[in-house]
Amino acid sequence: MSLKRLRFGAALVCAAATTQAQEATPVTVADQLQQPAAISAEVLVPHAECLFFTKEGERFRPLISNPRDSRYKAQFGLSRMTEDVAQRLSEGNPSTSTNAPGVPTIATSKNFIDQYIYKGLQDAGVQPADRTTEYEFIRRVSIDLTGRPPVAERVRSYMADTSSDKRSKYIEELLASPLFIDRWTMYWGDRFKNAQSLPSSGVQRFAEGRDAFYNWIKSNLIANKPYDQVARELIATQGTNSWENAQGPINWVVGGRSSGPAQDTYDQQTVGVATTFLGLSHTNCLLCHNGQGHLTALTYWGSHTTRYQAWQLAAFMAKTTTVLTRPDPMNNPNKYYWAVTDNPKANDYALNTTTGNRPSRLPAAPTEKTVAPVYFFNGNKPASGETYRVGLAREVTADPLFATAAVNYLWKEFFGRGIVDPVDQIDPARLDPDNLPSDCSDPTPCGVQPSNPYLLKALSQDFANNGYDLKAVIRKIVNSEAYQLSSRWNGNWDPSLEPLFARKLVRRLWAEEISDTIAATSNLPITYTAPGTANKVSWAMQLPEPITNGFLGYFLPGNRDDQPRRGEGSVQQALALMNDATVIARIKATGNGSTASTLMLLVAQSPNDTALVNNLYLTVLTRPPTDAELAISLKQLQSGTGATKTDKASSLMWALYNKVDFIYNY
Amino acid sequence: MARKIDPFQGCGSEEHKGYFSRQHWTRRHFFSMMGAGVTASILTKKAQAADTIGQAAATPVNKAKNVIFILLAGAPSHTDLFDFKFIKGTTPDATKPDTLKGVLWPTGILPKLGNSFGDLAIIRSLRSHALVHSLAQTWTQIGRNPASALGSITPNIGSIVAIEKDQLRTSNNVFPTFLALNSPSAAGSGYFETRYAPFQTSPTNTGLNNTTHTGGQPLFNERWSLMHQLDDPLRIDAPYGKPLSDMNDSYAGANGLMYNPLVTKAFSYTQADSLRYGNNSFGNSCLIARQTLAANDGTRFIQITLGGWDMHQNIYGINGDPTKGSNIFTMGKVLDDGVSTLISDLKADGTFNDTLIVIVGEFGRTVGKITAAFGRDHFPQQFAVFAGGGVKGGRTIGSTDDLGAGTVDPGWSGGTFPGRDVAPEDIEATILSAVGIDWTKVRYDDPFHRGFEYTPQGGDTPAFPVHELWNA
Repeated sequence: MSLKRLRFGAALVCAAATTQAQEATPVTVADQLQQPAAISAEVLVPHAECLFFTKEGERFRPLISNPRDSRYKAQFGLSRMTEDVAQRLSEGNPSTSTNAPGVPTIATSKNFIDQYIYKGLQDAGVQPADRTTEYEFIRRVSIDLTGRPPVAERVRSYMADTSSDKRSKYIEELLASPLFIDRWTMYWGDRFKNAQSLPSSGVQRFAEGRDAFYNWIKSNLIANKPYDQVARELIATQGTNSWENAQGPINWVVGGRSSGPAQDTYDQQTVGVATTFLGLSHTNCLLCHNGQGHLTALTYWGSHTTRYQAWQLAAFMAKTTTVLTRPDPMNNPNKYYWAVTDNPKANDYALNTTTGNRPSRLPAAPTEKTVAPVYFFNGNKPASGETYRVGLAREVTADPLFATAAVNYLWKEFFGRGIVDPVDQIDPARLDPDNLPSDCSDPTPCGVQPSNPYLLKALSQDFANNGYDLKAVIRKIVNSEAYQLSSRWNGNWDPSLEPLFARKLVRRLWAEEISDTIAATSNLPITYTAPGTANKVSWAMQLPEPITNGFLGYFLPGNRDDQPRRGEGSVQQALALMNDATVIARIKATGNGSTASTLMLLVAQSPNDTALVNNLYLTVLTRPPTDAELAISLKQLQSGTGATKTDKASSLMWALYNKVDFIYNY
Repeated sequence: MARKIDPFQGCGSEEHKGYFSRQHWTRRHFFSMMGAGVTASILTKKAQAADTIGQAAATPVNKAKNVIFILLAGAPSHTDLFDFKFIKGTTPDATKPDTLKGVLWPTGILPKLGNSFGDLAIIRSLRSHALVHSLAQTWTQIGRNPASALGSITPNIGSIVAIEKDQLRTSNNVFPTFLALNSPSAAGSGYFETRYAPFQTSPTNTGLNNTTHTGGQPLFNERWSLMHQLDDPLRIDAPYGKPLSDMNDSYAGANGLMYNPLVTKAFSYTQADSLRYGNNSFGNSCLIARQTLAANDGTRFIQITLGGWDMHQNIYGINGDPTKGSNIFTMGKVLDDGVSTLISDLKADGTFNDTLIVIVGEFGRTVGKITAAFGRDHFPQQFAVFAGGGVKGGRTIGSTDDLGAGTVDPGWSGGTFPGRDVAPEDIEATILSAVGIDWTKVRYDDPFHRGFEYTPQGGDTPAFPVHELWNA
């Protein structure tokens, strides 16, 4: 049989739009991308069989693929993202360094982030936004680091501080705050998908498993555990989650369990590793079919990677079992916990499935019935006697991509988009502007992928050199002038400037941030019950997983499974902020002493209306009113509806909770 | 010990194995391809065939304007309801079997729907892919394997209808295009924007949540005005960025829902009406669905969930007493009261022919004799009931064997694969076709930039509508 003809046939099926059938593809990203030797996985896995992956190659790229073609954009009805990608693909990296007139230089900044960001701005001739005012800064950084704004007293003392390094001093204060731990425990809970149940797969960890995972994440943050160690524990921990002696990190591997044959679970766990730690969500595609054709227009790396290589990665999971134990099967048959163990004697990843969530896994030749683990970027294998997962953890954490993905994910948290964006779709072949693939052609993307590749490189190296210290990365980012640019933009904003980070992008507060900020600023706490338990917490940010209904649910916290956290606004959010009891009950004057509500206290303590307005603004919005706002507010306090000053002030407080500069971190 | 039944999760904590029966690429296929005679032409032909069919067949029937999608969560027993089998010594006489137009019917469980049988078309050749509640419920709502790579971005069927029907909205419309009633676990909008997500609410006789203001409308109006005076410099010109003016649009939409007589009329109800619908949250949801469609103010897709069908134990009542515990009789009555009244009211309103009603669970239950726990366990064979939207009722499509364990006659074209069962993907294709949407449409705005098809069209069994519903 002619391998060549078969390949051609497969190419026709898979990528009818690709005009040239790829003969043994020359590998130019030299040692990084190892093509498997004689195995032609294209033959093994015709794309037409991939039931859940829709139709063939021609459907995987736009009809008009040249971004310079005037009809190109018209093909995309909704998303800005596609245009951004097209732009990235067509622009490449600006390499000239002409100083544009009027663009500030940042010689004074010791922060290397600024050197790269301002270089990019200068090269593009773009004048960035102004620096944040002190009020903008203190609110923004407080919410980003601790999930809520500073109390009014701290705003006043900050404003009174005349020292030149007060921003960085304030950042240190926030980084040391217990609120920082809560806020980032929530973040990592999202990242590691910690929920008691995962509806998309039916996996149940129960409250006990979830809480063990939560406690592990939280203790990592308290100890500032190095991220490579975090990853190693998640990828390779063995043990049980028996609730009395729960092993938090095993819940991550458990979360990768899938219905269907065992290989589906290995694949899903591998997708988790690749996406979370390497930013390679395309691995999910590659575990069903070769990248050629399917990923051609998206990623050079992906389009040159085969399903066989993805199997080699998944093979690291093949000796791992997740076993379910029911402690009380008679009385409580639906309650169980998990044990994750590695059995060195188990078989390798077998090519013997014809059912399940993914296309059949069948051998290329009768002798090739299993796949042994090989790390796809360097060809490394588990060491002799090494547990496969330990080997995987070793390879992943030693991979430069590990640091790159980590800092890129974190960058997005602070800037609203990654340096590579989307953050989970890194193309490893196009990260290094000095070493790009030379053989690619349209539609395969060729240009450098990160919007600021040297910045990404520097951040990654800094992260690795600092022992994968997560707090250090955050400290570096929030201390940068780039982070401290205002989101206010004079004139028309051109969205194509987003990748330059010429202004700060606003972020709608998380569900937990909105709720906690309302509770904190009104001094009327809210009690939450952790899902699946009777445990009460007094701050939403301390929940072990998001509450997805009620007031919090309107703000789309996501379920850490098939519904990601979302930052869009909605009609129901507006209805909730205007009318929900959560807000209405907190614009009241109630309580006394330490339980007195903010409204009660401020009305009683403010010497006059102007002071009352100032105090309300400072408490709720972390800034004084503008002159116009003060005038409108004073009018409200004098002639608004209501028998008392408190009634009139209550309406003012309501209006502040419904202002967009309350709902957003700007 | 009685098993606790969670109406939305069913017994989702149960693990099941071996439920994936779907062949992807059999050994026979594979070796025939690997054999000596293999040439590229086999593959080429296959691709061409799919192309031709994809282009030629994607003509939607376009008979309905609205959809009411009723999800029976927990997996209802098909052989006790719409694929009724009388098993001697097992099926109680209280099910009162009767033959309607040649179809055996449990008039003791679904008496009123028996009277409406002339409006119902029942697909009996539907089989689910999975037997895990949460997974299969999501599968039913998105028409795709939630565990596949695309599963995480795939929108609810209602979100696809919402994005496609967005253009029909007028500036006066304030109702959400996609309304989810009694469905807190409804699948979301996938990668679509939140405005295409299900607008979730649970019925209360006092109207839509958060659409009135404590203190009354005059106070609200004053506060609204104050907010705008203070905030317009930030929310209109949005110097901090477009999301802020988008939020202002959301506020305008919210204000449109408040103190709006149309909203009040559609989302509140009288006790008398509630009683006609069974006086429970499912019936009230059906009632609000009817009123919402009568208002004709932009709502096109309504999802309603009725949970409580996960009857592993005492399916015919504790000690076989239909009045004890939640069982097929009590749940059947909730369904029967709600849907039969809904059908007659839609007819009275003149919206029945424009509205496709779909009733489907996530899978079926074991057949024949009941289990030692007097219940039925999880089973792939299931049913889907269609009514309205021009569907020709009073009949069944497809048939099962004597026990209801498997399909004898699929009763439909099978798309490009004659003889196959109907799958959840085909139910989605059917719904999209009914409202005039090309179920093979591909959009290129997905986050993977790979092209997103409304229904899966790859493989041997591309999703295809059951167009037989409209052909007598």
